Formats: sequence, structure tokens, C-alpha cells
Amino acid sequence: MSALVEMRGLGIRSAHRTLVEDISFDIDAGKVTALVGPSGAGKSLTARATMCVLDVAPGLFAGSLRYPAHDPAIDWFEGVRGGGARAQAALLERSRVLRGAYLTYSPQAASSALNPGRTIGQQLAMAIGRRAQPPADLGEEIRRVLADVGLSPRAAASLPGELSGGMCQRAALAIAVAPKPRLVIADEPETGLDPVLRRAVVELLVEVCQVHGAGLLLISHHEDTVQRLAHAVIRLPGRSGGGER
Amino acid sequence: MINRARTDTPVVSLRGLRKQFLVGGALPWSPKRVVNAVDGVDLELREGEVVALVGQSGSGKTTVSRLILGLERPSSGEIWLDGQRWDSLSEAERRARRLPYQYVPQDAMGALDPQQTALEHVMETLTVLGGCAPADAEAKGMAMLRRLGLAERRDALPREMSGGEQRRVTLARVLALEPRLVVADEPTSGLDPDRRGSVLEDLIGNLPPKAACVLVTHDMSEARDWCHRVVVMLAGRVIEEVDLHAARPAHPYARVLFDPWSGPLPRGELASTGCPFRPDCPDAAGVAGGRCAAELPTLRPRGPEGSGAHRVACHAEGPRQAPSADPAQVGAS
Ligand code: SF4
Repeated sequence: MSALVEMRGLGIRSAHRTLVEDISFDIDAGKVTALVGPSGAGKSLTARATMCVLDVAPGLFAGSLRYPAHDPAIDWFEGVRGGGARAQAALLERSRVLRGAYLTYSPQAASSALNPGRTIGQQLAMAIGRRAQPPADLGEEIRRVLADVGLSPRAAASLPGELSGGMCQRAALAIAVAPKPRLVIADEPETGLDPVLRRAVVELLVEVCQVHGAGLLLISHHEDTVQRLAHAVIRLPGRSGGGER
Repeated sequence: MINRARTDTPVVSLRGLRKQFLVGGALPWSPKRVVNAVDGVDLELREGEVVALVGQSGSGKTTVSRLILGLERPSSGEIWLDGQRWDSLSEAERRARRLPYQYVPQDAMGALDPQQTALEHVMETLTVLGGCAPADAEAKGMAMLRRLGLAERRDALPREMSGGEQRRVTLARVLALEPRLVVADEPTSGLDPDRRGSVLEDLIGNLPPKAACVLVTHDMSEARDWCHRVVVMLAGRVIEEVDLHAARPAHPYARVLFDPWSGPLPRGELASTGCPFRPDCPDAAGVAGGRCAAELPTLRPRGPEGSGAHRVACHAEGPRQAPSADPAQVGAS
């Protein structure tokens, strides 16, 4: 089976210093891949680069990025290396079709990705609408996705503000998997949670990705989580001399 | 790592502390109900001691920390600070005596004045609260900033500071007053894991030698690494007090909190009679006579007689109070 992501020799720099250098990894379909490393090692930067989001300048100076399960021929970083902000902006535009479909992103505070002015059902309908093949019965599909994350069908009619924090987290996860992505990128979903909630959140994330057949790139700084759940680990080396105390 | 000498002189004593809140329902007309946020807490903190107060949200740990300093009034029970009854004082009387007892809030940015520099923050505390002359306050304030590695940031405004720097300015303000007691409510929340250690090092490493400190946290590694003793709360009660340098947590709930992968994940349902943890407890079935359902377990010393440092509120602990108890058998009956 071809990999979902094939990153080779990723190198990104800011105006002052090299942020990541020579990072290579594969992300396999249907598996949990953990991305770990000390703070300042460029975990978020690497995760964003994995979805063609390059937002520092001059930015990308080396590396290639392929999505073999999508199209093994395309190197998305072609013409972007050393091209600076303009080339990166063009890549962002060109890769728009991938985000929210081939791969989805779940930010650190997952519920911040919810639109406060739309019901959970409306947001799910949009997410499901990004699938290559629309479901026969949208209402039924919304109920099914909600059930997968342990929410009742009634949640569809609610605005995010009417749900508890934990329910919002589940709703956000439902929206991340609803497009049937091949890969979900979860940016430190454990941040700020106590140990019990931490386990509950990542277990749900892994389970839901598995149910939907999606691979998961899990950014984590909790060794116990990585040990328990990850099939593969990408370790970023720490950078000396950088970062504030 | 914690390396502070303790004496036997208590700084804080809590006796039978209770706090009830009246909370409204989802809608304005839903009936209000009484919540026992803190439900009978006894706790002693001695000079030099750093104690972690841990638990999930809603366990009552933040309420206890606020009660200690008189930021909330208890429904019943007693609070003693340095041998003086604290809860029966009027707010005016407390204000006159408050200086040695300081609070570090969770939200550093919210606690700082956007228009004041790092040094001005510390100086203001020293002059307004500490009664220092301005020249004195500047010297003392600078000395404290220097100790926290902020000397070069003396003129920085809060918005120009990193999260860690903001945190350290709130610490500098409190530590400059040479407190007897510091209660810190999740002082590292929102910081990167690598920066957390340095904030705690700055706080605990710069406490006056005999000061006591309460660290409220839900990060168990902070509790383990930076505190003499850990106090675990569940449903408003203390369910375990343990020195993690000498023993492992024994209460079934404390065990999951310290190692969330060690057993079934609690769903957070609490029983209203008997032991509150019963619905989620893997050990309840092994306790004879249905005691877990019938009787609220109270804190009892565990391990070698007289050490008293390890106390657990769990019926499964009953038969193992003899000094010969095997620590490896915890909770296995
Ligand atoms: S008292 Fe019973 S229910 Fe409560 S923690 Fe101990 S064994 Fe479990």
C-alpha cells in the first residue's frame, strides 16, 4: 500500500536561523504516527508543512513532499524550494483541494475550529460535502458521524455555545473525520488536560480515525501516549541555542 | 527537583473545611442546587513545605486554594494561618495581615497591567503593599528581577513579553514580598512543557527558606518533581496524601490520575452514598460486606505505624494497616 505522505529532507528557515533541517518520514494509511520532539524543535512547523502550509519567510529551502496515495508523481514542493513567500502562497492556493478532503487538521484547542454561528449539523453537512462521493442520505450520515464520536443526533441542532467543552471537542472531531480524509493531523490534542481527560481525548481520536479508516498524525509531548498508541514515531531533534526560556 | 528543609511549625491548618455553592441550572428558571465544592478537608502545611494539590477540574482543589487565603469564605470549618484563626476575621482585619500570604493567579496576562513595565509591576507591589520607599523598592525589585533572569527585561511591557516572562513577572511580584505562604493556582498552565519546569524552578527555588507553598496543578509530573507531598482531591474531599519520593499512590483513583493507562478509564460518574469513586472503581468488588456502597471512607494512615506521611481514604486499604503490609499489594485485594 502506498504511503499517505512521503516527506524527504524538509528544511525550513526564518530570517535568522534554520528552524528544521533534513527531516524525512513516511506516514502510512490507517496508522497512528506520532510527531514528537522538545518545544522549539519545529513540531507544528513540520505538521503544517505536511499539509502544504508554509508560513515563515524565506521558508522552505529544501525537501520534497509527495502524497503517494493521491498521486505519486507530484512533488508539491517543486518550484517552492527557495522561492520565498510568493512561491509558498502559490502552493497554499494550489493545495487547497487537499486540505479538508485528503487531509484534515484538528487544532490544539479542537473546539476553536468550530464556527460559533452555525449549528453542528450545518458544519457537518459542509464537511461531508467535501467527500468525493456524497452520501445518499445526508441527514442519516450526519447522525452516523455524530454517533461515531459519542454524540446524540440532537447535537446536530445545537450551536457550539450550547454544548459543554467536552461535547464541543467531540463535535470538532466529528467535523475533522466527516470528509472521510485519508489523514487527520491533530496538533497536541492533550494540551491543558488532566491525565484522565488526556487519555479519553486521544483514545477517542484514535478510535474515530480507525473507524473511518483514516491515518492519524498525532503531535504529542506525552511519552506515555506515544508508547501506548503510536504505530510509528517521528522524532524531531532539539535545537540548541534557540527559543526563549 | 525539590530540595528544601522543613520544620514542624505549621503555617497553614485546615480543619473540617467545607464550602457549598448554590449553582443555577441551564436555564434562568431551572431550580438552583447546592454543590459541595469542598466537603470536609483537613490539611496541615509546615514551614518550608511545598505541597501539590491535584485533581481533575471540579475536584475542589482551586476552591481549597482560594479558601486558604480568604478569597472565599468557608461554609464551615476553620482556617488557621501561623497559629491565628483566619476565617473568623473580618475582611478589614485580614487585609492588615494579608501581606505574608500571597496568591499567584493562573492567568498571568490578566493579572498584569498592560501599561506597566516589569520593574514597575514589582515596585508597585513593594510600595503599595509592602510599604517600601520608592528608592528601596527599585533596588529590591531589580534584585528580584535579576534572580528570575528578567534584569534585561525591566522595561518590557506585558505585551512585549513571552508567556514565560509574564509568568515570571507575576512570580517576582509575589516573591519580592518575602512571603510566608504562596498559593499558586496552576502557574504553568498554557506554557510549553519545557518552559513549565523553569517557571517552577523560579517559583520554588526563590521562596524564602521557611515559606510554605501550595501548588495547584493537574500535571502529575510537576507534583512529583517539585513537591514534598501530594494531596489528591476527588469530589471535594482529600482521598490521598502521599510523599511520592517514598511511596506510590495507593487509592484506585489516584493510581489512574498518576498513570492514566494503568487501568480502566473512569467515566467520572460519582456515587452519592458510600465512596464517591465506586461506579468507576476496579477494586470495589473485592471489598467485603458492600462497605464501599454503605460507608464513606475516611483518610487513614497507611504503611509503617507512626510515619503518618501516607494517608488514604479507601476501604480496600483497611486490612493492610499493619506495618508488615506489602506495598506491592496495593489495591489488589
Ligand atoms: S472505598 Fe471502595 S469504591 Fe472507594 S476507592 Fe476504595 S475500593 Fe474503590
